[in-house]
Amino acid sequence: MDIDFIETMLLTFKLATITTIILLVIGVPLALFLANSTKWYKSIIETIVSMPLVLPPSVLGFYLLIAFSPASFIGQNLHDLGIDLAFSFAGLVVGSIIFSLPFMVHPIQSALSQLPKSIYEASYTLGKSKLETLWRVILPISKHGIISGCVLAFAHTVGEFGVVLMIGGNISGETKVASIAIYDEVESLNYAMAHQYSLTLFIITFAILLLVYITNKKSLGEIR
Amino acid sequence: MKFFLKLLFAYLVLASTAWSQTITVAAAANLKYTMADIAKEFTKRTGINVTVTTGASGKLTQQIMAGAPFDAFLSADVEYPAKLANGGFATTPSKVYAYGTLVLWSNTGTDLSKGVAGLINPNIKKIAIANPKVAPYGVESINAMKYYKVYDKVQNKIVNGESIGQVATYVTTNAAEIGFMAKSIVLSPDMKNVGKWVEVEPRSYNKIDQAMVGLKNGAPENQIAAKKFLNFMSSPKAREILKANGYILPN
Repeated sequence: MDIDFIETMLLTFKLATITTIILLVIGVPLALFLANSTKWYKSIIETIVSMPLVLPPSVLGFYLLIAFSPASFIGQNLHDLGIDLAFSFAGLVVGSIIFSLPFMVHPIQSALSQLPKSIYEASYTLGKSKLETLWRVILPISKHGIISGCVLAFAHTVGEFGVVLMIGGNISGETKVASIAIYDEVESLNYAMAHQYSLTLFIITFAILLLVYITNKKSLGEIR
Repeated sequence: MKFFLKLLFAYLVLASTAWSQTITVAAAANLKYTMADIAKEFTKRTGINVTVTTGASGKLTQQIMAGAPFDAFLSADVEYPAKLANGGFATTPSKVYAYGTLVLWSNTGTDLSKGVAGLINPNIKKIAIANPKVAPYGVESINAMKYYKVYDKVQNKIVNGESIGQVATYVTTNAAEIGFMAKSIVLSPDMKNVGKWVEVEPRSYNKIDQAMVGLKNGAPENQIAAKKFLNFMSSPKAREILKANGYILPN
């Protein structure tokens, strides 16, 4: 197997892993807010979170490209801090976080909204603090939602194409992820390599999703 | 309901009488603006409409081999048309219609006076080129950098656009400080006021001889119209437009 292939696959999974971890940190509090809040601006936040589901990736890619450019306000300030996001791995992480946000938040939010209020009340009655209730009761029983969120965010980042195509610049070992590599190989008539990438992704995706459905079945079984 | 049926009928009648022949031409991205002018002139003279699809020559070749219904192909090199002719996709022999010119283009006020040799300037963080895997202009951009012996030093600054068109996006949005561009793009009405450019010394890269072929993929009745179009590419009017867009013409 050639080095370029391995490098590209590792880069793809590195991007997906980092994106998923950051999304988990952002996603859980966001989902908690959305599941419980009755604030007037809840709908606005819910809309913003869901927008990447409907927006064409090219819209996001276009705006990110402009935002990252050293000529823009954001790009200029980041540049002064020594951060250049256009055509860089860090830029892809930022793009992926925005693009995969709903895939992390939605499953967790729906798991949390299904919980009856009485669970919280029972925990408070037993003298547990809010944080302890969250950590020891709420999150553990919402485990299937959190796992689904992580897997969907991970898989969606692996499959991301449009945004990366627009802001990546197709640099080996930096921004050339598997989906771009497949496109590149197909366009340059190198079908053998395209097959190698595609089949690898096909098998990995199947394995990941299968694992989730099996574990979810088990953890739901524990609750019932 | 009856009213709507009548309306629909009227629409269909109108639509069919307004029908005129349309050919679809696949053109290398450097022809994006030039083709619009040429197609307009061609339609004026023949009544045949032209739909233009632009992209990197290699990508278009791949699409044609996969059966894309294009009637003619205008490449940015001679190799892709030759490949199509060898594969039995062409209706005409491949013919050179123009020679392309490479320029260095920047929208960030980068000093262009040293040309390609100046790319080692540390203020230049990113150099955009068209993906050499599919775009002939990208191949020659690399040749030019190799000629000036700066390629090894600047290799890690290079970003690949999917075609010369995406390179233009990278340069105009300032995402890349500098880019290798086709002269025809920087001379176009949309781009001529954007940034500054200099020609790349012609001896530093291979001649970009751009060839065209007619294709079998589209509707049979379009093959004749496509040949008319390819002939038009050698007409005085088309040559005038090509020249005005910065191309060098074959004799």
